[in-house]
Amino acid sequence: MTDNKKISKSDLEGLLNEWSQEFTVFVPSQENEVVKLAKWGGKDTSFLDWYRNATTPAKANFFPPREEMFGFQKDKEGYHLELPPSDEHKQLIFGIRPCDARALAILDMTFKDAYEDPYYLSKRNGAVLIGLGCTNPYDSCFCTSLDISPVESTDVDLMFTDIGDQFLIEAITEAGKELITKASGVEEATEADEAKAKETKEASYNKLVKKIETEDIKEKLLPAFDNQDYWEGVAAKCVSCGICTFLCPTCFCFDISDELVKNQGERFRCWDSCAFPIYTKMPMENPREDKWRRVRQKVYHKYEFYPMNYSVIACTGCGRCIRQCPVNWDITRVLNSLPAKI
Amino acid sequence: MNYLPAKDRDMEQKLQDEAKSLLEQERVDYIIGFEPGSLKFTTTPLITKNKDDVDRLVITPFIVNNLSVYLTEVKGRVGIVAKGCDSRSIVSLIQDNKVVRENVVIIGIPCPGLIDLKKVERLVGKDRDELDDITRNGDRVIVTVDGKGREFPIAEVLYDNCLGCEFPTPQEYDVLIGESALLVTDFTASRQKVETLEGMSQQQRWEFWKEEFDRCIRCYACRNVCPACFCQRCFVEESEPQWVLPVPRWQDNLIFQVVRNIHVAGRCTDCGACERSCPMNIPLRNLARKTYDIVGELFHYQAGMDKEASPLLTAYEVEEAEDFFR
Repeated sequence: MTDNKKISKSDLEGLLNEWSQEFTVFVPSQENEVVKLAKWGGKDTSFLDWYRNATTPAKANFFPPREEMFGFQKDKEGYHLELPPSDEHKQLIFGIRPCDARALAILDMTFKDAYEDPYYLSKRNGAVLIGLGCTNPYDSCFCTSLDISPVESTDVDLMFTDIGDQFLIEAITEAGKELITKASGVEEATEADEAKAKETKEASYNKLVKKIETEDIKEKLLPAFDNQDYWEGVAAKCVSCGICTFLCPTCFCFDISDELVKNQGERFRCWDSCAFPIYTKMPMENPREDKWRRVRQKVYHKYEFYPMNYSVIACTGCGRCIRQCPVNWDITRVLNSLPAKI
Repeated sequence: MNYLPAKDRDMEQKLQDEAKSLLEQERVDYIIGFEPGSLKFTTTPLITKNKDDVDRLVITPFIVNNLSVYLTEVKGRVGIVAKGCDSRSIVSLIQDNKVVRENVVIIGIPCPGLIDLKKVERLVGKDRDELDDITRNGDRVIVTVDGKGREFPIAEVLYDNCLGCEFPTPQEYDVLIGESALLVTDFTASRQKVETLEGMSQQQRWEFWKEEFDRCIRCYACRNVCPACFCQRCFVEESEPQWVLPVPRWQDNLIFQVVRNIHVAGRCTDCGACERSCPMNIPLRNLARKTYDIVGELFHYQAGMDKEASPLLTAYEVEEAEDFFR
């Protein structure tokens, strides 16, 4: 007897359908070769065969690329606001990777703790995260350098580990425990199952070959700040697109726009990026008009300012910024080549 | 990993020697080329003043970027590695007075076509980083997975735009590294997706693009990797008037891309960079190629072929075909 549970892969469909009664279930889904955590269709678990990680991180489920904040109508008395309908069910995300689950914990520090963002929190509070150990990380992944294991997580409610025809299930939170106690198809795990899971975890952990040195990174970055030559050099090939920030699981900048057609309209918010020159453009000046200043900002926000404010690096080593970059701008190369003080 | 047969490795040596001598003789301030990327089967742009760096220059079937995009940004005289399509983009920039011919040393690379990793991935059912090796041997390619080599005709793995390339060897250059390229072309395959779209009804096409642009996240990678998109300020960033919202709705996304295509008509060389950069896999080259073909049909014009010519949409002649224009 162990504390853990297990479920046969063939019973997963039934379990997800059971959870669909109470939650809106999201699973990895592929369309046009783009992988998203999309609404569960009730049947297809083929993602278990091909899923490595989603192109768009789980942040999009709580902080979508576009979001209506409210609608408004204008008449003689003024403006009347109308909030968009909120989701009936809470989200249950099956298959989130430990890197993306940690990223949500990091986003919480801004959207939940430092400031309460009602749009984010309405989706995030009560949402259930079910982690799936990452047994085939990409060559661009470097989560272990950020103290994140590809196969373990404290940021989820339940953690699933592939042990062949079955998954070992570890309950991480009370909510997770409750969810699994009453679930059908779930059995007690044996010591042999746990041994198998341990083996899988070790093998997966060792697949992470990309590394950065994060010890004292905050102190190492500080003296490099004024080294314009260095930052001009590393920024040279950046094309200032928004891919690395938009697909980053911890980037949270947004822009707000109103659209008024005749007497009614909507207020939207959408992802914004510090890579865009217009991001800091103000009437009198633009403090980050130069590309090297923008590139530097991105690195410092994640590795210097976030650690200063929240004692955590705002990077989880998911590698999207590297594998999706159209010019292969690689943050690990930059962090591993920081100049000593000039 | 050896991407290249011995002959091509000689080309790399020649390229490195040439770049070094350009810097040593102070004929250029910068060299722009490709060096190995940080991930398997990738390259990354190398932009350097340092002659010791040029030993890292490579020529592989994965030199996918159109480096001319950097010419409007890098200050001074530049030695730039250019494939056929890139060289046409450079010429186009010269036509638009964005680049001064004398400030550029074009190091031409006769291009035998670039390998589309997505096509390789589909053929073998594995992701890029799970492949051991990809070796091109003339009109064949050998993909090694789990120690076993599988051979395919090269035409099955080249980018669609490369299959339709008319000028793989740069027409405008200062130095040419190697001999003229023999490209395996397959114009039918190259235009297949465009033809499918042409065969649709207007309504079907509308639905098609509606769905495609619904997933655009407006990262602007397509615009930013495009050398023809050289506006100081893109119309999408104008706020007075606000032509489109920054909100990634399909309608706004579609307008952005349609206007972008019209802006680059006569400048686009069908290099394919826009589509390659898209993280949402929107088949942008369909629009680019169709526009390219329309430019050819209506104006008998090919972008970037004559540095003395006026840019297409800045000049017209009274004899031009359209009655409405007279």
